[in-house]
This record gives sequence, structure tokens and C-alpha cells, in this order.
Amino acid sequence: MTIFPTSDTVQYLSPQIEKVISLDKVGKRYHFIRNIDSYNRQDKDGFWALRDVCLDVQKGQTFGIVGRNGAGKTTLLNIIAGTLTPTCGSVQVSGKVVGLFNLGVGFQDELTGRENVYLNGAVLGATKKEIDQVFTDIVAFSELGSFIDMPLGSYSQGMRLRLGFSIIANLTFDILIIDEVLAVGDVLFQNKCYQRLMEFKRAQKTLIITSQSMELIERLCERVVLLDHGKVLYLGSSVESINRYRDILAKEKFFVGPKPKENSLITQTKRWAQDIECWGKKLGTREIEIESVGFYNRLGRPLTKLAPGDFLRVKVNFLVKNIIKTPHFGAAIFREDGVYVYGPNTFFDGIEVASFSPGRAWFEIRYPHVTLAPGNYRLSVAVMDRDECLPYTYYCGMYPLTISGKNQDAALTALACKPKLKHLGFVFLGSVIDSLPGLDLESLKDAWGDYFNDNAISLASLRLLDSYREEKEKFFTGEPLEIEVKLNAIAGKKDYYLWLAIFRDDRIFCQSLVTKIRHNTFSFLFPSFDFLPGGYIISWGIWDQNSRRFVSLSHGRQKLKMVFDRPDHGTLYMRHDWRLSRLK
Amino acid sequence: MKMVIRELFSRKDLIKELVSRDLRVRYSRPYLGFLWTFLSPFFTATVFYFVFSIFLKVRIEGVPFFLYLLSAIFAWSFFQDSLINSSTSLIQNKNLIRESNFPHYLIPVAIVTANMVNLLPSLVVTIVICALTIKGIPFFVLLLPLVIVLHWGTTVGLSIIFSIIYVRWRDIRYLLEVALLFLFYLTPVVYSLTMVREALPMSAFIIYMCNPFVAILNLYRISILKGFYLLIREYATVMNMMLAVVLFACAALIAGFCMYQRTKRWINDYLSY
Repeated sequence: MTIFPTSDTVQYLSPQIEKVISLDKVGKRYHFIRNIDSYNRQDKDGFWALRDVCLDVQKGQTFGIVGRNGAGKTTLLNIIAGTLTPTCGSVQVSGKVVGLFNLGVGFQDELTGRENVYLNGAVLGATKKEIDQVFTDIVAFSELGSFIDMPLGSYSQGMRLRLGFSIIANLTFDILIIDEVLAVGDVLFQNKCYQRLMEFKRAQKTLIITSQSMELIERLCERVVLLDHGKVLYLGSSVESINRYRDILAKEKFFVGPKPKENSLITQTKRWAQDIECWGKKLGTREIEIESVGFYNRLGRPLTKLAPGDFLRVKVNFLVKNIIKTPHFGAAIFREDGVYVYGPNTFFDGIEVASFSPGRAWFEIRYPHVTLAPGNYRLSVAVMDRDECLPYTYYCGMYPLTISGKNQDAALTALACKPKLKHLGFVFLGSVIDSLPGLDLESLKDAWGDYFNDNAISLASLRLLDSYREEKEKFFTGEPLEIEVKLNAIAGKKDYYLWLAIFRDDRIFCQSLVTKIRHNTFSFLFPSFDFLPGGYIISWGIWDQNSRRFVSLSHGRQKLKMVFDRPDHGTLYMRHDWRLSRLK
Repeated sequence: MKMVIRELFSRKDLIKELVSRDLRVRYSRPYLGFLWTFLSPFFTATVFYFVFSIFLKVRIEGVPFFLYLLSAIFAWSFFQDSLINSSTSLIQNKNLIRESNFPHYLIPVAIVTANMVNLLPSLVVTIVICALTIKGIPFFVLLLPLVIVLHWGTTVGLSIIFSIIYVRWRDIRYLLEVALLFLFYLTPVVYSLTMVREALPMSAFIIYMCNPFVAILNLYRISILKGFYLLIREYATVMNMMLAVVLFACAALIAGFCMYQRTKRWINDYLSY
């Protein structure tokens, strides 16, 4: 008995990684011959179907190629199979390649199935003897029975696929290429193909597959390349490639498969919501048409203007043209310049909407307090499917909404804020006003990150406190927030104002608070600090009203983070509830 | 060249399948099937017979005119059909070509070979008819296999060239039809060399004789019609004609395969449109 490993086990222990396919900087350019009427406009550069594609496939690997139609998948497969020669770059393929490219490719309608088997086998490089040996297997696998002696013209697409797959599945090869055809077969045959493919996998055959069925790709492939416009966008694990592919599809809006995680759903709705390029457009499958959108006050009167803090009811009447299953509704608010404020939808709010049959229906969203600052806003209205992939209708930025009032610094929000009565005997600051007369916010743009102090009156500390008066940096949307400011001041100075401003971390100005300085300690209390998740920044300074400048300033330095237990996104959370018309 | 021969040999099963496909596709549906390969040139010959022999009174010394026609018309229609069929063959078989990277020229080779298979029974029938009518088979019939092989080679070479040109330049098909018609009347199918010699001055006649198809068709006739060689010996000897045909066949084949070597990289790019 020997304790040394045999050569077999050695090989087993260190499996040789053998590259069977190696593409280096492969590019493929097509020169199109255009129609005669456009002959003079011949493009000199041609069309690059593939560019700079580098990839390796190891022996025994199952390699997937995903991408949209026209991304270059078939061209890549053809180059690997050797039926196309790349314009540039090098291709090395070792072993016998067999491909199933297109349904009915190479099949002759006039010949019978049997004759086609021999013809195709010969095209694929098998000798007559070899085909004789596997012919019965081919017929058995295809389950075509006596149809094998019928002319191929009488075959359906599914039968052609059966025959085509059966031929390649019974030939000998090292590398098998399959191009988007398996979807034609019925479920039983698909399973059979899948089983056979798994057998090949176990037999260490190299498989290269493209499919629009992400499920199949995910089940079969170890490595997947994502192609887009002829370029490799991603090469790596199947899950990651598929996710990125879905991202591309989501970005392109129509058609799209479901995203597996809710997390990505949020990014998706966000992307939908934030795309202001679509403003004024009616997107979606138009299976639902929005007929009218109305704004109403508490008494049900239509309104065109409202003031900060007012009640608002948005009613959307729509026409359902098709049977719609489990949709959800959304209405997003934007400021006129495209700043995304808030876009609630019924899905985030956990409201299950059943199905609609054709007819008229409506939904309503009610805001008890619109905490938007005065200005012009626009509303987008959408009815989406439950995965936020395919809108039935999506009217982007179509509906203007005006909040009246003065808004000197173009603030975004008008959250309620009170100076806090801390102790008995604390004398009040007077009212909080929301902007500083004479301040031009634009001029502060370059001062971002600045910090300076006046000798006479300087900034001492700024603390963000929660309802237990504990200092935090991370707050929950809707939580009470107290901003406590301490100054080092010399008494007797008049006409000094304390200015405190909240910015989004992309420096969009949200709201400012201003009060006259009479004491060294100030406290601002937001009973409900309704900023939505994300980073925010607080700036504060002391303003000299006489010289109209800041004597002390801390700009863009104090950070604040908001979190929320709901997937809502945007800038400002506004309490709301939904009303839906009774379903028919 | 060696490589090409090896390739042809290693893919002989495929060629066989392609040839049989071609024949099946052509003859599986018509009721008269394979008979048409004989019938259609026969009818052409009949038409020519009426036009040229009865209306135009063309006479060939020593040979009945109908047999004179028959002995060349099969060979000519083989050549013409092969060339026309193969010129569009790469486009018509693009699906087959894209399936696997087998050499493209196998398709014209298979088409020419299939036509050759059609030709053989017709030739046998012609020989039998001639033998019965003229009462004798010429000694040169032994030359026939070689003539057929050379004719095959010539046609294959030209077919490959035209099929490749057609991929990029579809006008070639119509030009080819015109050229074939032209060539048909430049080749003694319906008239005899004696008539040409009488009509043309010597210099023009020499140019006329440079047409390799003159040699090929006359070789066919020599090997089919007893006593025909005596009629044309003064214009061209068997050796001369043989040499010309061999040279031309080699030139056509080499040109065809060289052209394929140069163009095979991009043929597939242009197949689909």
C-alpha cells in the first residue's frame, strides 16, 4: 500500500486551469451597404458591433453572455465559433466548437427531418458513420417520432428547436454555443435541455450561452459577461452581471424584469423620480391614461395656490384601458428647477391595491400640512406595476402647483420651528424669522467650508439634541430635533442676528432660521424634523445688520444624517394618506 | 493547393450530403423527378433543331444535326446551370454557412458536382442514341472521363469566383446571364467549326479558337460522335484541345481558390444583407 498520491489524485488536487477560449481586444466592424437611395451617405467608419472585448473561458466552464438586443451577443458567439472573423484583436479557441445559433438555421424545408439530421451533422463536422451511430438517440431525444420522415417545412418552431438541439446534443464537441433559442421549447423540453446541459457541465464540456432568461443564466452559468453597445460592461459572477443588466434595463425604462431586492427597488423609483429630462412627457405603456389632476383644500374647493402649512388634497382621475393587476400609485413633487422634494407611493406605504378592470377610477393623496416653502412646484403622477418596472402611465412634471408667500433665499422647506422654553425665567428671543434681510445666499457659495470668528462675538458650540436632550448626529425622519447654539458674546451689541441654515449635502438650500441675538444661548426646536434619509449640513453665523456682513461664520461644517424605517426618498417627508376609488 | 485537397477530402461526407441535398431538393417534388435532368436539355435541343435545322437550314457535314446538338447541349447546360446556380449559392445557403465554419467553396463544389451527377446519365443516353444512329462508338470515348473531370474543374473554379463576387456585387448575376448567352453563341453548339472558318479570316478564327469552351465541347463531340474528329482535325488536334482545357481548368481552379483565400475573412459579414 502506498501513501503517495497517484498521479490521478495529484491532478485532482491541482486541477489544471486550461483556457479554451481567449479573446484579446477583439473588435468587429460592419460596413453596411445602404439602400441605393442613400448611397451618397455611406458611412466611412462603419458600425462597431464589438469593441475591445477581452475575455477568457476556462475548460469546463459555463459562460453566459447577457445584454440587450443588438448589444453584440450573437456577433461575439459567431466570432468564438469562427463563423465571423474579427476586424481587430486576436481569438484563440481550442477544441471542436458546435453551435446552435438560430432556429432553422441550415435546415432545408424540402428535406425530411432525417435528411436534415444528416446534412446538419455533416455541416457540424460529423462523419456519416458518427451520425449513423447516434441517429436513434437524436430521434429519441427530440421526441419527434414518425415526424422525422416528414419534410421540415411542416415543422413548427418548437419542433425545429427540438431537432436542432437534439442534433448538437448528440454530437461530440469540446465547446458548445447556444444562442437564445431554448426559450421556444415547451417546459418539459426546456427541462430536458437543461438536464442535458448539466450533463455536459459535469463532463467538463465548455458551454457558452446567451439567453434573455435570467433564470436560466443564473442557474447554469458560473461566469457571465454583460455586453452593451458592443462593449464589455461587466465580466464576473452571474448574479452580479445579471443585476447590472437589470440596472441597464431599468435605466432604459421600458421592458424590464423584476429586481430581486427591495433595496434596488428604492434606487429604481429614485431614478424614475429624479429624471427631469422627461418632464412634460407622457411615458409608460399607456394602459392607463390620466384624465385630470385636481388640487383641493380641506373644504373640497379647488385651489391653485396655497400657503405653507396648508392642507392639500390631490385627486387624480384616470381611465383604465386594460386589466391591470396589483398596480401602485405615486405622485412626486419637484421644485420648478428640478429639485426632487418628495415622491410617495402606495407601495412604500404598504397599501395593497388589487386589480382594475377597464373603466374610470381615481386616487387621492392628502397632505394635512404642506411644509413646502413658497415657490413653484410640479407634480409627476404615475401608476406603476408592483415591481416599479413598467409604468402603466407616467406623466412627468405635468402639473404645476404654486405655494404662495415670500421666499427670499429660495428655500425648499418650511418646517415648523419654535424657540424652546427651557427654564422658567428664560426670556424669549422673540419670533423666529426665516430669512436674513440683505443676505445674498449666492455670495456664500464660495465660502463653503469657511469658519471665522469675530473677537467681540464668536460662535462657541452647536449641538443637535434629541427629545431626551442627548447629542446625536443621526436622526430619524420625523423625530423632534433641537438645535442648541451657544455664543461667546459681549453684551450690549445690537443689530446682530444669529443665522442658521440647513442644506442638503449636495448644497441645495433647504431652510434657514434667523433670530436677533439677545442672549448667549439659543435653542431651536423642530417638533418634527421631517427631512428624508440622506446627509444634511447645518451652517450658522452671526450677521451684522449694520455692515451687512457675517462677523462670524461656520459654513458647511456641521453634518447631520437622517435615517428612516421606510423606503421613502427625496428631501422632505410630508405626512399623507391615500384614498382609492372603489375597485370595480 | 495541397491544403485545399486535404480539406476537400476530409469533408467528403459533407460534400456528399450537400450534393444529395441538392439533388433531393431539386427532384423530390416534381413527378418526373430525375427525368427532368434529361428532358429539359432534350427539349432545348428539339427547339434548336427546329429553328436551326428546319427554318435556318443549318447543315453539319457527316453528322445528323440533332445528334450534333445533343452531343453538346448536355455539356453546355451543365456548365450554364452550374454557374448560375452557384453564383447565388453562398447567399442562399447563408444559414448553413453561419452554422459552422466549414469552407465556403464546398457549396459551389457541391452544386457543380450535383449537376455533374445529372450530366452523367444524359451523356450515357446520348452515347447510346448516337451509337444506334451512327452505328458505332468512337475510340475517343475513353477520353470522356478525363474530359468530364476537366470540365468539372473549370466549372468549379469559375463557380467559386462568381459565387464570391455575388456576395459583394449582386449585379454579377445579371451580367453572368448575359455573358453566358454571349458565350453560348461564341461556342459551336448550334453550328460547326467549318462554318466559322468559312466566315472568319484566319486571324479572327485563331482568336475564336482561344475560347476554351470551343475545345471542351469539341472534345465531348469527339468522344461521343464516331467520325467527328475527322471533321475538325484540320482546325484543332486532340492534343492541342486537351492542353488548352487542362491549362484553363487549372487556371480557373487556382484563381478560384486564391480568391477564396483572400476573401474568406469577410464573406460571412456580407451574407445577411
